[in-house]
Amino acid sequence: MAYVDGELSQEEARQFEQGLAADPTLAKEVAELRALEVMARQMAAPEPMDYEWDRLSRDPLQRAGVGLGFALIMIGVLGLACFGTWTIGFQSDLSLTLKCLSLGTIAGFTLIFLTVLRGRLRTLPYDPYTNIKR
Amino acid sequence: MILVTIDHLPGKEITSVIGLVRGSTVRAGHLGKDITAVFKNFVGGEIGDYTKLMAEAREQALDRLREEAKALGAEAVVGLRFSTSSISPGAAEIVVYGTAVKIS
Repeated sequence: MAYVDGELSQEEARQFEQGLAADPTLAKEVAELRALEVMARQMAAPEPMDYEWDRLSRDPLQRAGVGLGFALIMIGVLGLACFGTWTIGFQSDLSLTLKCLSLGTIAGFTLIFLTVLRGRLRTLPYDPYTNIKR
Repeated sequence: MILVTIDHLPGKEITSVIGLVRGSTVRAGHLGKDITAVFKNFVGGEIGDYTKLMAEAREQALDRLREEAKALGAEAVVGLRFSTSSISPGAAEIVVYGTAVKIS
């Protein structure tokens, strides 16, 4: 807490940061305290519209509509990607070189996307800004 | 740490100027937020996800400025300014800068 509040001396902070680098649990705890501090700075009276947004976010019809919409988009995109890959790989008249290049490009994009996603999911617990509203 | 947009601190004296401090960040939402934002463009009203995104970027940039000022031994930052630009569609870039000072 003293570290997050900036109350440690430079030497103490440096020592604490060494521990922070070696201990993911401690790093997560610091991130949670930092998120709390950021949230405290954001404290403000809710606007009337906020109550309605809260009610809407709990409304089953609203949740089902958004959830189903995104699920359909995801299924469609994944289906199209699989179909595209299948068509290029097995159905098209492209030469073997072009097939390899096309499939390699698709695989490259997929790999980069998955790597970026993995990075985001790994760092998300340490991001103190995700609970900010406005 | 006192952060103010004015160039002086009423009731306090600036004893020394440390120099420019700044903080910046570029934050993006995710595709899901962009999709809902597109539809909100059709129906109007506040795009809450983008408001949140800008607020996240603003607070992160401010924290970075604060950290830099603290590392330089500053007690306050005066003449604070925010600036923004557009690097990537759907991402929020905020730069905040000011003059770090010591006060008595």
